[in-house]
Amino acid sequence: MEKTRVLVVDDERDFVELFINRFSKRDLDVAGVTSGAEALDYLDQHEVDVVVLDVKMPGMDGLETLQEIKKRHSFVEVIMLTGHGSVQSGLDGMSYGAYDYILKPFKIDDLLKRIHKASERKLLKAKGGA
Amino acid sequence: MRSERSYELGPLTELVLRYALPGAVLIFCVLSHFAEAWQSVLMGLALCLAVLVTAHTLTSKIRRISLRKSELDIQLIQSQKMAAIGVLSSGVAHEINTPLAIISQEAELIQHAFGRGVLEGLKEAPEIKDSVAQIVLQVDHCREITHKLLSFARKREAISQETNINGLIEDMVQLVEREAKLNNIRINRKYAQGLPPVVTDPSLLRQVVLNLLNNAVQAIQDGGEVTASTGLEGQNIAVMKFTDTGCGISKDDLANIFNPFFTTKPPGKGTGLGLSICLTILERLGGTVSVQSEPGKGTTFAVRLPVGRRVGQ
Repeated sequence: MEKTRVLVVDDERDFVELFINRFSKRDLDVAGVTSGAEALDYLDQHEVDVVVLDVKMPGMDGLETLQEIKKRHSFVEVIMLTGHGSVQSGLDGMSYGAYDYILKPFKIDDLLKRIHKASERKLLKAKGGA
Repeated sequence: MRSERSYELGPLTELVLRYALPGAVLIFCVLSHFAEAWQSVLMGLALCLAVLVTAHTLTSKIRRISLRKSELDIQLIQSQKMAAIGVLSSGVAHEINTPLAIISQEAELIQHAFGRGVLEGLKEAPEIKDSVAQIVLQVDHCREITHKLLSFARKREAISQETNINGLIEDMVQLVEREAKLNNIRINRKYAQGLPPVVTDPSLLRQVVLNLLNNAVQAIQDGGEVTASTGLEGQNIAVMKFTDTGCGISKDDLANIFNPFFTTKPPGKGTGLGLSICLTILERLGGTVSVQSEPGKGTTFAVRLPVGRRVGQ
């Protein structure tokens, strides 16, 4: 089976680097960017299965980015990352079509499981939801 | 909104086993001992008994069927109503979105012009700036509403995956818990151990759970408890219950809470779409939602989902 392709989007560069480092070792194909606009550019040029997206970012925030991703690439699954656990952003995120939500700080294995579930969903959807 | 199944013997089977069968045996025994003259009397009695039993069984059966039929009628009307409102609201939302986008672009243009010093030297400059800022704010508010309308009407594609219900609820509990603590609300967990994974769409179910948990927390004014529990009914139904010690729901409101646009929150605070979205999602997932409430004491929402059913096309 091919590696799951993951894009991480967070305005903290250190976090993105750490994420790429950790998850590349877990047999994922990981790339990272530090803003919503960059994420959209990346998605225009690359095939991605799962986006891990920070809710709070300067400029285009996570929820706006999520909406654009779903509009342009509806097959991509998105897992939202949140540091503060705001209920409203959770409700909004879910209704915009986020697949899952995870609170920072998280355990690597926990997020890994969610990434695999999200990519499974993408495969099922491509097969027609059977 | 709630489906209940009875696993008892049907009344017909029960009556036959309990009365008609022993009766017939008894009559047969008696008949073989008595003279011919009594035979016709006894036959008559037996016939009467049989007719009575049949009539009784049939009436109770008809009563049950018509009760079930009216329940189904109510459900049918409800889901037709939801579908109609869905079509209407998405139509309205689409139509309004375009003018809204134009208004907000024009307002932004005006704000840019302010930035270039267009209003310089004008006495009313601060007032005009305030007005334009209000326009931008209110347009944003409208856009939020149209977005919710569209999400209400969107056909929800369900993709089934094996889902750990306890884990899913715990995620949403953690999301709600921080804000709940600030309002002095404790969240109790009563998760049943050893639940089988449920085959359902986890992202849609998360939306339902988060909505119900959020409602539970908001129903509590100053301090209280919310309890999230899980369990199995029989072999095939997973149950999730969300109980709060909040203000409760009056009988009149109870009949309306699943209707779209029904809200008891002050204007601008809620669109009244949360529970109707939950209901449409659960219909999509083959589940049900039911509610019990006592004003002043609290409310329980119960969600039931089939464990093994696969949905989607």
